[in-house]
Amino acid sequence: MEIPGEEYPKRFPLAVDSEHKATEFRLFSAAPPHMRAFHLSWLSFFTCFVSTFAAPPLLPVIRDDLDLTATDIGNAGIAAVSGAVFARLAMGTCCDLFGPRLASAALVLATAPAVFCTSLAASPASFLALRFLTGFSLATFVSTQFWMSSLFSPNVVGTANGVAGGWGNLGGGATQLIMPLVFDLIVLAGAGKFTAWRAAFFIPGLLQTVSAYGIFFLGQDLPDGDYSQLQKSGEKHKDSFDKILSGAVTNYRGWILALTYGYCFGVELTIDNIIAQYFYDKFDVNLHTAGTIAASFGLANLFSRPGGGMLSDFVARRFGMRGRLWTLWVVQTVGGVLCVLLGKVGSLAASVAVLLVFSVFVQAACGLTFGVVPFVSRRSLGIISGMTGGGGNVGAVLTQVIFFRGSRYTTETGITLMGVMIIACTLVIMLIHFPQWGGMLWPPSDGATEEDYYVSEWTAPEQDKGFHKASLKFSQNSRRERGQSVIASPNTYA
Amino acid sequence: MATNACLVVSLWISCLLATTHAATFSSLQRTLVLTASPQAGQVLKAGEDNITLAWSLNTTFASGIDSTYKTITVELCYAPISQKDRGWRKTVDELAKDKTCQHNIVKKPYTSSNTTFTWTVRKDVPGATYFVRAYALDSAGKEVAFGQTTDAHKTTNLFEVEAITGRHVSLDIASACFSAFSIVSLLGFFFMDKRKAKSSK
Repeated sequence: MEIPGEEYPKRFPLAVDSEHKATEFRLFSAAPPHMRAFHLSWLSFFTCFVSTFAAPPLLPVIRDDLDLTATDIGNAGIAAVSGAVFARLAMGTCCDLFGPRLASAALVLATAPAVFCTSLAASPASFLALRFLTGFSLATFVSTQFWMSSLFSPNVVGTANGVAGGWGNLGGGATQLIMPLVFDLIVLAGAGKFTAWRAAFFIPGLLQTVSAYGIFFLGQDLPDGDYSQLQKSGEKHKDSFDKILSGAVTNYRGWILALTYGYCFGVELTIDNIIAQYFYDKFDVNLHTAGTIAASFGLANLFSRPGGGMLSDFVARRFGMRGRLWTLWVVQTVGGVLCVLLGKVGSLAASVAVLLVFSVFVQAACGLTFGVVPFVSRRSLGIISGMTGGGGNVGAVLTQVIFFRGSRYTTETGITLMGVMIIACTLVIMLIHFPQWGGMLWPPSDGATEEDYYVSEWTAPEQDKGFHKASLKFSQNSRRERGQSVIASPNTYA
Repeated sequence: MATNACLVVSLWISCLLATTHAATFSSLQRTLVLTASPQAGQVLKAGEDNITLAWSLNTTFASGIDSTYKTITVELCYAPISQKDRGWRKTVDELAKDKTCQHNIVKKPYTSSNTTFTWTVRKDVPGATYFVRAYALDSAGKEVAFGQTTDAHKTTNLFEVEAITGRHVSLDIASACFSAFSIVSLLGFFFMDKRKAKSSK
């Protein structure tokens, strides 16, 4: 819906649609508000990943200082990813209500003390508590995806989500290289080992604080302004928590994606925690080599998750939403098959090769998932993103508890069984059906439109007040999800 | 006759395997006598307390058994209680893979007479229960004999080390300050955002 007299082409550095969301994604630009927000969000998410997984590479020193047992270490690893389950849900709600800028800056600042205080850890219990609290910061994933979905148009939303998510996840790999380096520098400066690891945690803590400042002062929630401004001026109404929550919880697609995300991202987190030890124990490589292999798994996120997002947008051009769903199912299932294989191969070279190909597929599946999530709901985008993100962490906790705790299964058997579970749980994607676009197995319902789907999230009285205007615009812009057989053209202003 | 032949052949094969195989702990003879100053159950402070060690050859063995001994290396080793649920300290028979003894105390050339050494427990020794073991190495650096302060089951004469925490007052204060700064910033952000919203109306 246009307001007559507005000069769209001159207002934004990038081409935008009727909601002022960017229809192009220029990676090497930092133009406000779109690309600047992109860089702020992936950088802050990156620092949160660095903080959450800062302990594993230093464990050989920490376990001696705090007298940790293998059980203590395993529990702390599970604690690090379990906090984010509920934090991601809460973050989704906060994004819907307060906007991603304030929500993510607040979370990053609120978890920074946990990182700084890691230097005070004196026992296995305090270590576990600190990893648990630090892990809450992984909820910035939700604000990242929400922010990208708010600023980028359907034709590039998969790419924006994929690159932001992937480059953030990179932190999990980068930390395996950063923390040992910082530790070595501090030891070189004369500190003892048991002091050096404590001092090293100030680096991730400072990075977090700086990125929070960046988000607050340089970021903007929506193309037209921040939530608080727009709510005050009346352009955006302040939504009700109950309505957003019930809309999300009653949408079965959110639950399905939460389950399947648990078997791509959850698997990724599990591998982050167990793979260094696996290579160390099975193939007798030294700890540094095992750490490097573990790091390379995380570093594949540089291109594999963005690749998944771009692939989602690419197939959507021709095949629309049905293409996105089919590609997600295929890529995630292949990931499952490779996981089964990883547990079966016997030689070091084959294992590393399978691991790398597996990492590409499982991370691409994560990117492909968030090519679908922005379309599940417009009103409850935050909570749906939070549910899916939280589902990822639930998957990580469940998988580690069932297969990688105690001595019930050897690690190889655990990995193979995890692969079987991936294949089985991914099948439910077949049940996702959008009336206006169809699903994997069934075509769209006759006469269903995007407006029917998105505007129905608002009640009649709310529609009378005009609260649904943004959803109307989104409906028009998402018509391209029908695929190339559709004649309708998106409203693009270049 | 046939069984004798089989026995000889199998003995010969196992000898062959033993010489080509890596050194194992079970193949070593306990020919060294090693004593350490800590009493059973004593707690030593890392970085402060000393251990006085004395080692010599056990004369009850045939003379000439020490002909291959070139160096003595003395190690601080983890007692079973400190190895429990800690795979990175596991005892494995193959010495190259054994992780029982991770802290070297001293390495000295071998003499058959009594040798003593006083060692200050290093600052980076973790808090755990320990015993002391000495390996005799040949000219190729391979273990050929050992001696230890505890019995074969590693249950007697164990002592503890109390490690430094690594915490410093300056680090504690820095943590508190940075944490407080983060929280104050957070409150500042909320306040500023509310003010900005009010003024934009």
